[in-house]
Amino acid sequence: MEQPYKHYFEVMPAYLTILDRELRIIEANRRFRRDFGDYEGRYCYEVNKHHSERCDHCPAERTFRDGQRHGIEEQFKNLSGQEVSLIVYTTPIRNEAGEITAVMKMATDITEIKLLQNQLRESRERYRQLFEEVPCYISIQDRDLQIIEANRRFREDFGDFLGRKCYQVYMHRSEECAPCAVKQTFQDGQVHQTEEVVTSKNGEQVDVLVYAAPIRDAGGQIKSVMEMGTNITQIRQLQSQLTDLGLVISSISHGIKGLLTGLDGGIYLVNSGMEKKNPDRLKQGWEMVTRNIGRIRSMVLDLLYYAKDRELEWALTPALAVAEEVCGIMRNKAQEQGVELQCEFEQTAGEFEADAKAVRSLLINLMENALDACRVDKKKSIHQIRIGVKGYPEYMEFEISDNGIGMDQETRERAFSLFFSSKRGNGTGLGLFISNKITQAHGGKIRLESELNQGTRVIVKLPRRRPVPKAP
Amino acid sequence: MTDKKKILIVDDEQDILTYLSTLLEDNGYATALAKDGEEALKQVEAVGPDLITLDVSMPEKSGIKLYREVKANDRWKQIPVIIVTGVSGDFKKFISTRHQVPPPEGYLSKPIDAEEILALIKKLIASSEFIK
Repeated sequence: MEQPYKHYFEVMPAYLTILDRELRIIEANRRFRRDFGDYEGRYCYEVNKHHSERCDHCPAERTFRDGQRHGIEEQFKNLSGQEVSLIVYTTPIRNEAGEITAVMKMATDITEIKLLQNQLRESRERYRQLFEEVPCYISIQDRDLQIIEANRRFREDFGDFLGRKCYQVYMHRSEECAPCAVKQTFQDGQVHQTEEVVTSKNGEQVDVLVYAAPIRDAGGQIKSVMEMGTNITQIRQLQSQLTDLGLVISSISHGIKGLLTGLDGGIYLVNSGMEKKNPDRLKQGWEMVTRNIGRIRSMVLDLLYYAKDRELEWALTPALAVAEEVCGIMRNKAQEQGVELQCEFEQTAGEFEADAKAVRSLLINLMENALDACRVDKKKSIHQIRIGVKGYPEYMEFEISDNGIGMDQETRERAFSLFFSSKRGNGTGLGLFISNKITQAHGGKIRLESELNQGTRVIVKLPRRRPVPKAP
Repeated sequence: MTDKKKILIVDDEQDILTYLSTLLEDNGYATALAKDGEEALKQVEAVGPDLITLDVSMPEKSGIKLYREVKANDRWKQIPVIIVTGVSGDFKKFISTRHQVPPPEGYLSKPIDAEEILALIKKLIASSEFIK
C-alpha cells in the first residue's frame, strides 16, 4: 500500500481489515489491532467472533464470489470478550488484470446507536402502552375530524373507527357538534374542554368530559388533535340523585307545612267546637285531623318505599280480588269528592304471579292521582274514574282512566321521574315513580296517555308468570 | 253585620280555607273564599274585601299574578295583602318578580300562627282605615 493511503488506512475511525480468499486477515489497521489484538495468519471469524468455523452469511465470501459491495450488521467479540455491534461493508480489491485478489472489510461500531435505538423502542412501547391502557377514551383526529388513531378503551366501547369522523362514531349522526372542541383547538392551538353525551356501539348513553389538545410537528404546526374523554356518567348520576334529594326535601318540607296547617285548623275547629258546644264544627275539625293524618301516613309510606328496595313477596294472586279491594278502599274517597267510580272487571281474568300488596299500592297510587286530577279540574261538572281489569294469555291488564285535568306534554314526559309533582304542595313526587318501580319489578310495562283538560289513561300490563331473575 | 270587616282568603287547600275562615269569623270578621286566582279576582270585584290573605302556589292563576293584578288596579291597590305560603323560596321569588308594584303589606309562612295572623290583620286594617 502506498504511503499516504497506508496512513489513512491506519488512522480510519473504523475497523479495517484486508482478507484473502481463505478469509485470512492479511492486513488490519491500528484500531482493529488495538481492540482485537494479534491477527497474523488467523481467519477473520476466529479473530472477530472467536469461532472456529466460517459464518453462515459472510459478506466477504459474497464479494469474492460476485465482485459486489455488501453490507451486513454483525456482532464481534473484542479482546476483552465484550460484544460489539457493527455495521460491516465489504469491497473487492482487484489486481491490474481486474481479478479479485482480496476483500477489504470496514466495520463501524454502532453499539451506542443500537443502545439508543433499543431505548427509543422501549420508550415508544411504554408510551404506546400508556395510550392503550389509560382508562379513558383517546382518539387522534385530523382537520376533517377523521379519527386516525384510537386507544383500546375507545375501540372496545365505540368499535371500528377507521375512516370515520368523530361525530359519526361518538354521536351516530352525520352533522358536526357545535361547538366542537377539536375544531377550536385546531383554530387557536389551545386546550378546550366540553361535556357531551355520547352513544356507545351497544347503544348505551355515556356522559363524557372531553379535553382537546394539539399535537404539533417539529416545526410547531398543529398536525392533529388529541381528544380525551373521561366517562363521568356515575358522577352525573350521583349529582342528579343529590339534586333529586334536595328537591324531595324541599317538596316534603312544603307538604309538611301544608299538613301542619291542616292539622292546626282541625285542632282549632275541634277545640272551638267543644267550647261552643257546636257538634258540627267538632265533627268537621275531627275530619280535618283524620284526613291530614292520613296524608302524613301515605307520605311516610311513599318515602319508605322509595328509601328501601323492598323484596317482593311472590304469590299466585287473583286479579279480581286485588282490583275489588282497591275499589273498596277508594269508593268512599271518590264519593266524598263527588266523583263517580266505575269498576269494569272481566270476571274470567284469572290469576297471575305477583306481590299482591305491591300491586294494590300501585293501583291505589294511580287511583289517587286520578282523584286529584278530578279535584283540581274546574272545567267539568261531572267527573268519572274508571278502573278496568282484563286477562290476556300472557299478561294481566289494569287500566285506570279519569276525565280530570289531564297533562300537558311536559308533565307527561316527566310524570315517571322521581320527585316530579304537578300537584304543587299536595304531592311528594313519588307516586308515579313508585308505580313505575313496582311495575318494572314485576317485569311489566306502564303506559300513560293524557291530554290537557281532557283526562288521563294509565295502562299497566303485568306478566302472568314471574320474570326469571337475571344471573348475577 | 254590615260593619264587619271583610277578608278574602285565597288558598287551593280546602282545609286551610276552612281553618282561616272559622278562625277569622270567630274573631269578628266576615270572610269570602277562593280556591284559585281566577275565582279570587271575581271575589275581589264582587265582595270588595278590606284585606286579602293569599297563597302563592295555586293552579290556574298563581298568587303572584293575582297580586300584581290587584296592585295594578286603582280601585283595589289600597287593599292590604298578606302573603301566606309554605314554600320558603316563594317570598324571594315574589319580591324579585314584582315590577312597578309595591311589596305586600304582610308575609306569613305556613304553618300559620293564629295569634300572629290575627294581630297582623288587625294592624293592617287599622292602618288602611287611617289612610282612608
